Amino acid sequence: MRYIIAGYVFVLAVLALYAVLLVWRRRRLARDVERAVGHRPDTVPASEAAR
Amino acid sequence: MTSDLTALPVSGPPAAPVPDARVDPPPVQSSRSKLVERVIGVTALVGIAATVWLGLWVTPPDKVQGDLVRLVYIHPGVAWVALYLAFGLAAVSSLLYLWPRTRSLFWDRLAAAAVEVGVVFNICTLVSGSIWGKPTWGVWWAWDARLTLTAVLLVLFLGYLALRRIPAEPEVRARRSAFVALFAAIDIPLVHFSVNWWNTLHQGATVLNPGLKLKIHGSMAWTLLLGFLALTLAFVWMLLVRYRVGVLEDWLAANELDFALAERQSEGAGPSGTDPGAGPGKGPSGEGPSGEGPTGDRVGVA
Repeated sequence: MRYIIAGYVFVLAVLALYAVLLVWRRRRLARDVERAVGHRPDTVPASEAAR
Repeated sequence: MTSDLTALPVSGPPAAPVPDARVDPPPVQSSRSKLVERVIGVTALVGIAATVWLGLWVTPPDKVQGDLVRLVYIHPGVAWVALYLAFGLAAVSSLLYLWPRTRSLFWDRLAAAAVEVGVVFNICTLVSGSIWGKPTWGVWWAWDARLTLTAVLLVLFLGYLALRRIPAEPEVRARRSAFVALFAAIDIPLVHFSVNWWNTLHQGATVLNPGLKLKIHGSMAWTLLLGFLALTLAFVWMLLVRYRVGVLEDWLAANELDFALAERQSEGAGPSGTDPGAGPGKGPSGEGPSGEGPTGDRVGVA
């Protein structure tokens, strides 16, 4: 049974970690875009454009 | 792409806007697409939880394999996603990029997203297969045709990801990546038919066999198919998020020089609006007579 548990734990942990990493990367990049847009007075920040 | 930055002034009063309409608008995700993404994500999560519950507690042990059959509810599912969905999609997207009539960076980004997700699923395939192989075959690894070709596929697509990290213009990167993806994709049918073409240790296909006849029945079959569905949805969710990451990365890479210069301009102007780098004859708008830099000079990007 330990092999089965090990198999499930490995697959689920890797997929969960990758999913968290993806969400983190997207948030960080979205923040960078917001910050970059904030330096330009003639553009609307992405958060405002989304509304 | 805003590679021509020569019209951006390096200095000027803080009130002067940066007259640069060439910068692409920031990529905004619509609320509808966010909702679709969330629904897919939650459904995938519920599906995976149900597969784990059915696979570990509800389904009976197999007559031959005993409890080890429980690993079969996830191993073919992750292999299906990696080999057929992810790498297959990467190959099709790369082909569509190379085809002149459909050439668009959309296909390149989609291929890159599919490969990255596929590599994660491919690692899961190899490791879960190895964990199943140890108690079944007595070894963690065998140089069996299917196992070896799957490992080769992983190495090829890791090479694809490494190639993408070499700095280049987006079009150049997309073109060479597409060629590599198509070359790597030759291994996909080899992996699939390896169990038919050679006498391998790996068992034949349970679902995707010639004639598509399921070799598993009852609650075991439903659990296996649910695992396929849930992992497919998880792949779609990851693909959407990874694609979005690619869009944001490309946008930042294309515009970072503009923003760096604009930032430098606002910093150089200082709170009093004076700029040590500004020369004489500076007009009220901070621009020279030709609408270029404050001193009439153009800012060059070496």
